[in-house]
Amino acid sequence: MSSIANLKVPLVEFPEQSVEDKKANEFGPLTSKEYLYEMKSRNGEPLQELILDTPPYYVVVITYLNYLILLILGHIHDFLGLTFQKDRHQDIMEKDGLAPWFSKFESFYVRRLKLRIDDCFSRPTAGVPGRFISCIDRIAHNLNSFYTYPGTSTMCLNLSSYNYLGFAQSEGLCTSSALDSIDKYGVCAGGPRTQLGTSELHISTEKLVAEFVGKEDAMVFSQGYGSNANFFNSILDPKCLVISDELNHTSIRTGVRLSGATVKAFKHNNMEVLEKLIKDQIVNGQPKTHRPWKKILICVEGLFSMEGTMCNLPKLVELKKKYKCYLYVDEAHSIGAIGPNGRGVCDYFGISPSNLDIMMGTFTKSFGAAGGYIAADKSIIDRLRCDLTTTNYGESVPAAVLAQTCTSLRIITGELNPGEGLERLQRIAFNSRYLRLALKRLGFIVYGIADSPVVPMLLYAPSKMPAFSRMMLQRKIAVVVVAYPATPLIESRVRFCVSAALTKEDIDYLLRHVNEVGEKLFLKVSSGKTARWDIEDVIKHTPVDCKDDRFFAN
Amino acid sequence: MQPPAVLPSSIVVPDIILRISSYLWYYCQNAVNAIPGSHFVVDYVKRSHQHDPYRTIVEVFLIIYGIVYFLRKPRKQGFQDGPKLSNKEVEALLDEWQPEPLANDASKVEWRTQKIAVVQSSTSSSHVDVVRDDGKERFTSVLNCSSYNFLQLSAEPSVAKVAKDTVRRYGVGACGPAGFYGNQDVHTHLEYDLARFFGTENAVLYGQDFCIAASVIPAFTKRGDVIVADNRCSVAIQNALQLSRSTVYYFEHNDMEALEELLQQLQERELKDSLPVLPRKFIVTEGLFHNLGDIPPLPKLVELKHRYKYRLLVDETFSLGVLGSTGRGITEYFNMPRKESVDITVGSLATALGSSGGFALGDNVMSLHQRIGSHAYTFSASLPSFAVTTASEVLKLLEKDRTTVERLHIISQKLHNFFVGDKELKSYIDILSDKDSSVLHLTLKEDIRNEFFGYTEDSLFDEMSAMHNKYLSEKYVENYEVEEKFLQQIVDIALVEFGVLISRNTFVLKHETLPITPGLKICCGAKMNDQELSLVCESVKTAILKTLKV
Repeated sequence: MSSIANLKVPLVEFPEQSVEDKKANEFGPLTSKEYLYEMKSRNGEPLQELILDTPPYYVVVITYLNYLILLILGHIHDFLGLTFQKDRHQDIMEKDGLAPWFSKFESFYVRRLKLRIDDCFSRPTAGVPGRFISCIDRIAHNLNSFYTYPGTSTMCLNLSSYNYLGFAQSEGLCTSSALDSIDKYGVCAGGPRTQLGTSELHISTEKLVAEFVGKEDAMVFSQGYGSNANFFNSILDPKCLVISDELNHTSIRTGVRLSGATVKAFKHNNMEVLEKLIKDQIVNGQPKTHRPWKKILICVEGLFSMEGTMCNLPKLVELKKKYKCYLYVDEAHSIGAIGPNGRGVCDYFGISPSNLDIMMGTFTKSFGAAGGYIAADKSIIDRLRCDLTTTNYGESVPAAVLAQTCTSLRIITGELNPGEGLERLQRIAFNSRYLRLALKRLGFIVYGIADSPVVPMLLYAPSKMPAFSRMMLQRKIAVVVVAYPATPLIESRVRFCVSAALTKEDIDYLLRHVNEVGEKLFLKVSSGKTARWDIEDVIKHTPVDCKDDRFFAN
Repeated sequence: MQPPAVLPSSIVVPDIILRISSYLWYYCQNAVNAIPGSHFVVDYVKRSHQHDPYRTIVEVFLIIYGIVYFLRKPRKQGFQDGPKLSNKEVEALLDEWQPEPLANDASKVEWRTQKIAVVQSSTSSSHVDVVRDDGKERFTSVLNCSSYNFLQLSAEPSVAKVAKDTVRRYGVGACGPAGFYGNQDVHTHLEYDLARFFGTENAVLYGQDFCIAASVIPAFTKRGDVIVADNRCSVAIQNALQLSRSTVYYFEHNDMEALEELLQQLQERELKDSLPVLPRKFIVTEGLFHNLGDIPPLPKLVELKHRYKYRLLVDETFSLGVLGSTGRGITEYFNMPRKESVDITVGSLATALGSSGGFALGDNVMSLHQRIGSHAYTFSASLPSFAVTTASEVLKLLEKDRTTVERLHIISQKLHNFFVGDKELKSYIDILSDKDSSVLHLTLKEDIRNEFFGYTEDSLFDEMSAMHNKYLSEKYVENYEVEEKFLQQIVDIALVEFGVLISRNTFVLKHETLPITPGLKICCGAKMNDQELSLVCESVKTAILKTLKV
């Protein structure tokens, strides 16, 4: 029943619904005051080293075996294909004297492994990515080589968007301020910041952001990736050293590579290794010449998006001060979502932001907008405004995005609609803790710290990823599965991104289904120091227990 | 038990040692024999020892060496054993080290920030209200000759309505990368629209225009690949080439003979080297140069690309929506089909199309690989949906009626003709840009520059390269700075006395690795009328003459 027309993603007709329904679909109303939790500041206390649960050996063996089978089949497939079906493998062969875009070897993983589960990625959606997300139905053909679209869509519970505080909405204060800004400033910005790309709204947003994160000044950019990727080359050069956490985001790596600075990675969150490395580097200086480094910059992320772990800020600040290094913290996921006041890692650890040299973050996640910022002391920002490539050559942020950012920031601080921001902060804190503890009690292996809104649940075998993702989609739950190269080879996982827009009942629904699917797919493989709970008991007791830190200790 | 007869009896060995070793030997033999199949090994060793006793010695030595090697502590590669430092010395070194400040002092360049015009109204209209220097200078309703929104189509009420409707349906942000539920139906539809409008198989959307080249090129290149690029490319492409890991060659700006010669040389070298794998080869240029505003000879480039088996990447940030009778870019300008002539087109939605973000056009295979391997696509959140629908709507308007583009051409040509034809200005300034460029690039004549500021383009480039090679943290050229301030004076006069907002061509010396020409930019807008146009011409002319004569 496939015609040419429905090979394309259809434009979704919006269902007629009342404003109340629309609001509830975007942001679920709070069902009880019980389901709030006020995140506590750690008052400068460093994190204890997390003990990661490990799966039984047979799970590891099965995972490797799984990859082995996939690799062998893939190579057989390649051999047969390149021998007998040359016309179907044109894109990896030389053609008219031109080398292929991707060689056979480079694209093997994509063609033979990823393609098999491609239906779990890039699902087209429509509408607001709020509490529910409308996924456009599609049917995969010929091992995901093409899709047809019947023209319908399904409302799914949204555990996939980075909508931590639930500001992805099309009703309310943020939306109306965005609409007003379009009237006043137009749809687009007129050019780079140094040339008509600066409006009053840019200046006021920058002030607001600086105040929010606790720095003297800030700059805003139109893309989070771009803020990182084009930042480091303005402050670093090949005679500088970057000490980077091994799990840092690609944008940081790209940016550092562009600057030409030398990079040394340290094991994720391992402060002893870091200290040794810093000492070693200061003493030995640059390789070959042994001249001292010009600057040493420690780069970490506030909340690591694949692990749910946080940087050990108190320890980092101590090291940074002791060895006169600079500290750069990427708060892409933590700003807004972490800390009693939503002001990120400094707020969470109870450390003054003046101890950090550069604070970077994005507006895509917690604020429901787009773009990123860099905040630092005024003297640094003043210089960066003249030096950064993005401000001089790249586009500026459109007004509507700034308006959304400003308004959501003001709601979080309580300046607008007092109480709403606090409720959002307390809801995401409760939801994250509830889901995490409940999954642990059900017997799943979950990574990360108690308060992280990113809840990665380990699946291990690569074949369990599509199984889990598809079964969840059947149950109308949208989840994100991640595998190598974003994670270590055997640690394929599903990443639940918790949102303040979800109600406790939504999480109950999720838990029941994850429990059922988990049983079927043998995912409950935690080492079982504590007895596994029954799903009904979990739902009954966890909402109270999750407010107590004791239960999160392994 | 008799001791084994391996030693002559003349050597006196304590009895206890003989006894222990013979017992050990006996039990070892027993143990070895107990392993099933071990007699094969024993027979083999015996036979080989009989044939060649020296071999046994060598093998025993090898085994011992293997064990020693295995047990030795691993030594780090490239690590040199320097003299061991005592703890006290280490402490002293740690104490002694002083880092440079994170950013240089801003005082010398701060005047630039103060001169930035802060807009108080929509930048898409012909007149804007601006303030400068923290609100100390105010200008109302000045003529807008600085906006990149050349077509000014996004100021149409219908486009604003589409944007607002989208916000009411989709909210603002997409809250996720394209791979994880961030791509909405409107995103895919804009990709269809772009591909259809510009005549390619596929299009890939990006969140920011400046990142695209620096993401697309490294996605396809690796060590050993070859890139041949124009030597006046913008910083976006310079960044891309730096990230590409490939061998980069530059050819003289728009000089096709130089390019052909270079390609010929490279071909000869390749034939001589007879490489095991065919490298990917790219020619990289811009559709309308960001720094100069001129147009490369595309037909010749395409001919060379076909002859020497290269792929062609054209950064059309400033030419899409501007060049060609319907705004379809440089290929339409030269009447060539885009599909066959350009392999990768990089375009911006934030310039003539009046939205935000950018895109890369090309065939299906290339686009598919981009969606997996291009970092700015996979690791970044999708564009806000209102920017997407705005762009779709602007494309629709462009398709429906070509008068806007035609009007823009007329205005740019008139502006160009005025400055090229003006006799008074002739001896002071050069026009770098093409007559069809919607940004007019003005620069001081080389002898004027030398006379007033004591440097030339070449000497500036030499100085920049020298600083670059030394990795200086502060890249500051006094003479260049003086000229920049001089150019800013022209901008100021035009703004203060005539209410015309033009801009300097802003460069950051720190990031420019190719030659640059300081100058002024006048941006055209399609909605400008003839009266406004003549105001621009007269005011800029007066400002230039006034500043020069001072």
